[in-house]
Parts: sequence; structure tokens; C-alpha cells
Amino acid sequence: MIGGKIAFASGMLVALACGWLAFPRILYQTRPQPVDFSHKVHADKAGAKCEDCHSFRDDGTYAGIPTLDKCSGCHAAAMGTTAAEKSFIDQYVTPNREPQWLSYARQPENVYFSHVSHVKLGRLTCEQCHGGEGSTGGLRPYQLDPISGYSRDIWGRPVNRTGLRTEGGMKMDDCVNCHRRQGLEYSCLGCHK
Amino acid sequence: MTTTRRNLFKFAGGGAAGALLTPAPWRLITDTALWSENWPGIPRPARGEIRARFTHCTLCPAGCAVRARCVNGQPVSLAGVKPHPISNGALCPWGIAGHHLPYHPERLRKGPVQEATAAVARAISQRGAGECVAVLDLRPGRTASLTYRRAMASIENGIYLAPRQPAYAVDLAAARTVVSFGAPLFDGWGTPGNVFAARDHFRLIQVEPVETRTGALSDVWLPIRPGTEAAIASALAGDMTIAEAARATGVEEEAIGAVKEAADRGSTVVVASDPGSPLMSLNAKLGALKHTVVARRESPVPDAWKKAAPVTEIAAAADGAIRVLLIDESLPGGYVPWREIEPKLAANAVVAVFTSTSQGYARRAQYVLPAPVYPEVAEDVGPAIDTVAAVFRVAAPLVAPLVPVVNPAGFVAQIAGLPPGDPLRERADAIHQTGRGTLLSYADGKSTPVKEVAADDFWKTLNQGGCWMDDAGKKSAPSGFGWPVTWPTRHDDLPLAVVAAEFNRGGLASPLMSKLERESNLRMAANHVVLSPADAHASGIENGSPCLLETACGRMNAAATIDPGVPAGVVEVAGGPRMAELCGANPRARVVRA
Repeated sequence: MIGGKIAFASGMLVALACGWLAFPRILYQTRPQPVDFSHKVHADKAGAKCEDCHSFRDDGTYAGIPTLDKCSGCHAAAMGTTAAEKSFIDQYVTPNREPQWLSYARQPENVYFSHVSHVKLGRLTCEQCHGGEGSTGGLRPYQLDPISGYSRDIWGRPVNRTGLRTEGGMKMDDCVNCHRRQGLEYSCLGCHK
Repeated sequence: MTTTRRNLFKFAGGGAAGALLTPAPWRLITDTALWSENWPGIPRPARGEIRARFTHCTLCPAGCAVRARCVNGQPVSLAGVKPHPISNGALCPWGIAGHHLPYHPERLRKGPVQEATAAVARAISQRGAGECVAVLDLRPGRTASLTYRRAMASIENGIYLAPRQPAYAVDLAAARTVVSFGAPLFDGWGTPGNVFAARDHFRLIQVEPVETRTGALSDVWLPIRPGTEAAIASALAGDMTIAEAARATGVEEEAIGAVKEAADRGSTVVVASDPGSPLMSLNAKLGALKHTVVARRESPVPDAWKKAAPVTEIAAAADGAIRVLLIDESLPGGYVPWREIEPKLAANAVVAVFTSTSQGYARRAQYVLPAPVYPEVAEDVGPAIDTVAAVFRVAAPLVAPLVPVVNPAGFVAQIAGLPPGDPLRERADAIHQTGRGTLLSYADGKSTPVKEVAADDFWKTLNQGGCWMDDAGKKSAPSGFGWPVTWPTRHDDLPLAVVAAEFNRGGLASPLMSKLERESNLRMAANHVVLSPADAHASGIENGSPCLLETACGRMNAAATIDPGVPAGVVEVAGGPRMAELCGANPRARVVRA
């Protein structure tokens, strides 16, 4: 009788361990960013603000991750002697090759997200959605869920988001909850064009 | 603890229970659902840099300003441009879907360019005395049209043919009453955004036998008997009593009286479905000239272009005189029926058509050359009927041509030996040199006097999103509005008035665009006619039975549908070039049993 209880408890423990510890490691594929970029260095040393590089164009569209042209404005030649700087100049600036950045916050294909309406009209700060990314010393690896094809940041960093918690990610629930809190309209066609 | 079969089951049961307390199964359910959204075959939107680019729609003379959302340079959606003073941010359904046109499955993809060039050159050099070279331009008023006229002026016996164009503009903003004789005011007449912007300030009286969409949205609809528009016009002009008009049209005297009263109050404009209709002369009687119907100044052209062939209507050309006919059907335009063209051709005439479809004139020409379609090529758009001031609008290309195409104006210029150049740039420079008017930039909505803009910036803005608008100037009266007028001859042997079930944008006809419209089963098939029960009964025709549609120009086998929604005296047909050829400008018909 006791042996049976031990067997049941053992099975349960193994499943719990697999589900909580092993599953998150198996689920996500980790990919490095192409350049060892530091937001902190750019903010502290160059005094750059978010909108200096992640800017809106004259026509109101959002430029997103800056292209090499923007980087080359300052990094036409190496600025400093670090290995990361040398690598960036040699691999991208000199051959005029665009870095293939992996966007943590890329929304799925069926979503239309407008930065301009959230930033200019909604007065949201960058940190409200992107957290402290703008002050990190280096880019963390990009984590991809190969089943859904989404970035880990879309789902939210904690793997235990099962729909009960609706904070910390960029899922539809997060958008809807924020709109609810602000008393704003939300409808299917607002985002799913 | 011994390993027994029972304990193994308990271990598995514990594992299953434990798994339910982890995120794994729940997350896998969600991920699997998301995975199914990415299965092969599901369309995937383009990814890349998102930019807004500006151009002008060339699908009709309205030339509405267009803001294209482009991903990686590829237009993915079109919208209007809010600050534009004429189109007012509006686009019609065709304009909104215009970027799909280059990918149309029925698009012409190749043609015998070398052979056509050689045959045309040979025919020009070998033509006999009195034989002429002609260009038929379905969309006059463009810079390309001026190239044709210059080319024809430089060739001996060269003539420039074009459908009749209104030599006036309608100022809807100045109108308080609009009397429309079948003009589809809310269905593509003029510039849609301009019409709707002016709508709150005028009362619309729609005179037509069937209740079209414009009729349904009008303030007053006069459901006249088919073919009795002249009686209403005569009553409004005071040439006929209201009682006589009521007897002729079947409309109550009070209704006609109220319309006359409104028309006599001033600020009235009369518009007709055919801009060249004698009904337009009613404007002279109602005092609309110089007020709501005005003459429009021409956009400036370079001095070197002043030597240009005059505009000739096809009827004015001599029979059997055209040895070479080049038809520009690259843009939807006024269709000239082939029965009017054919007698003008010499026995050994060479006919080449620049088109994007194998329908239309391609059925008649020896050489069918693929032309670019909107938005593949830089073009300018002439003014629409409701554009009062002269304008210059460049439709900058949004995509490169998907198939090898021939630029019609370039072909004709080369045949005529015109010096190479960029006519659009030359015309822009000529406009800039006059210092007239203002330059409107779409990105920022700024309007700048041309005098304050450098020539290069002027050209750059025109190409990157902007238009030139002439100064308003003093209003002047257009010519050619005499009263009384001669009404067209009635064919009493053809008792039915022909009404196109689908509006074809004031005579604009493009087989490609008709195809786009008719992909719905709700559209009427080309070989169908619809009759009222009374007319069908009188002709002994049953629902679905075969019949013959006979007009002054020919006959067509068709299938008849009986619909109580069609008024007596009307036969409803599908639109398009084929029906335009069969029915002509003032369509009357007879339907008999086959």
C-alpha cells in the first residue's frame, strides 16, 4: 500500500521536475544576436535617447530597429578598441552589410501594431512594453519557440504564464488588459486587419 | 519497494497528475494552436521596412492622391491623402485595390514589338498620297497626349484622334441645385472625394428612368419614361409647359414644377451622363455659365510643344484614309466603337494597340503590344470634369513593370523622330517657369507658392508626393453652349431604352477592370438582358428563354431575365466595350424572341 503511494508520488515528482525545470529549457531555441550591442554604453557615453535611433519618420511610420546607415553615421570608423567594435566595423560597416537583428518584440503576422498611436497619442513610455531593455549592458540571446514561431518575449519571460497571469508579455491578453485599464476601446479589427 | 505492474501504473498516474500541475501541457496546447496558423498555404504578409509613398491614381481622370503603405518597397495597401484639396482623402473601391492590377491573371504579358515597329515604319514610308497616320488616344489631356499631338504634327498627314472631351469644368462647390440627367454623381462621376465634400451644400435632383445608386441617394428622383429627358429639359428651359412635360415623361406636374422652381432660384448646374450631351446646353438657359459651369485654363506647356496636331474626332477623319492606326488603350478611357473606326481605315491599314489586355481593341488589331498598367509607370493625370483650376499631377510608379512592356508615348515619339527626353520633366519645368499657382506637398500638407520653390525641388515634390494647382483666377464662360439644341433622332422602331446594369464610370471602359468587377456572381453576365414583365409579355419572351437584342448598330444573342424591378420601356444590359459597340451613344433597342 505504502509502496503504491511512493510510486504515485515519485511519478508526480518526476513530472513536476520535467515540467518546471526541463520543459522551459527544451521549449526555447536560443540564438545569439549578430552584434554585441550595449544600450547602456550608447545611453551613458553617447547620451543617446531611445528616439534618437528608434525614430519616427516624417510620414509618421516607425523606423523600428535602425538600419546600418544610422549606425554608420557615428561608426564610420572604429570608436574604441573593443573586440565588439572591431567585429562590427569589419563584418558590417566596411562591407556595408546589414546586421540581421533578431527582434524580441516582433508581433505575429496577423497583428498590426502601430507605434505612433501608442507613443504619440497614448503617451506610453518605451519601458512600459519593452522593460529595461534600453539600459542593458548587452543584448541577451534571442529565444525562439519553434512550435509557435514566436519570440519568448511575446509570451512573457516566465514560462508559467498559463492565461491566469496576464502581465509581463506582449500577448493579446496583455494588450486587451492595458486597454481595459485605460478605459480605451479594443476590438478585433483594431489589431487584426 | 518492489517493482510491480500495479506500482508502474501508479507511477504513470502520478506522472500524469503531476504534469497537469506544470505549464507544459497547457503551453503545448496554445503553441499547437499557433503552429496551425503557420501551416503551408496560409498567406504570409510581407516583412521588411515599412514606408509610405505617394502617387496619383490613373484609373480614371479623377487622379485621386494616393498614399501607399509599402513593405520592402512593395505596396501592400492604398489609401487617400487627407490634405488633398480635390480628392479630400477619398478613394473609390477601384483605387483602393489598384495595386493588384499588375498581377491580374488576364494581363497581356508579351507582344510582337520588333515586328510591329518594322511594320509601322514600313507602312508609314510606303503610304500613298492622302493616306494618313493616326494615333487614337483614349485618355486625352495628359502629357503623353501632347507627345502624340507633337508626333502627329511632325509626320505628314498625321492626325490625333480622341474621344470628345468636355471643354468646361463643373464647380460643384458653387452649386446649390444640381439637376443630373442620369449622371452617376455618387458612383464615380468626377472626383469622388470632391463630390462628397460638396454634397452638403447642394440639392440633387436625379432625372432617370431607373433608380440607380445615385438616384437612391438623391434629394429628388424623377422617374421619367425612358428617352424623355428632352421634355424635362425643355420644361426647365421654359420651352414646354409643365403639363406637357408631365404628359411626356409620366412624372407628376407638381414634381416637375418643384424642380423648375429650384432650378430657377440660381446657382444651378445641369450635368448629364454623357458630358457632350445637348442636355448640357440647358446650363446656358439657367444662367450657370461662368458661375457653376466654367472654362478651365490649360496647364502650361513648353514653347517647343506649341506645334501640335489638333484634336480630331474619329467622325471627322476621311473614310479609308488611315494607313497606320496606333491606339493607346493603356489606361481606361472613353471607348470609341470599332464600327466608327473601321470605315476610316485603308484596305491595307496597319493597326497596333498598346494595351494590357487581349480584349478590347486587341481583338481588332494586327499588333497587340503589352503596355504598363497603374502603378507601374510615371504618368500624369489630366483634370477631371469637376476640377476647376488647372492641375499637374504625376503618378509616380510604385512597382517596376512585371512584364516586358512598351511605353506607348515613347513608341510613337520614336516613330515620329521626336528628340529624346523626359516630357514630364519638361512640362514640370514649363509650369515652374510661369511661377503660377501653388505646390501642395502631401507628406506635410503644406501649400507653397511656386515662386518660392526651386525647379529641382518642384520636380522632386511632384514625384515624391505633391501636385501643382493653378491660381483660381477669374471665372470665365466656356464656349459651345447654345440654346435651343437639336435633340437626337428617336428610333421609334426601337422601343426600349438600354440601361447598363453596371455603371462604367461615365463611359470609361477597361476589359481588365470589368473583369475585376465581374468576378462576383452577382454581376450580370455579358450575354444577358433583363426586361420588365410587361415588355417581356408583349414580345412573347419567357424568363430564361433565348432572345435577340437588336439596336441601330447590330444584334446580339442573349438570354432574357424577367425582373419586376426593371421599369417598362427599359432593357437592362451588362456594361463594357462590347455593349458600347452594340448600343452606341444614345442606346435604344428592341428585344425579340430568338
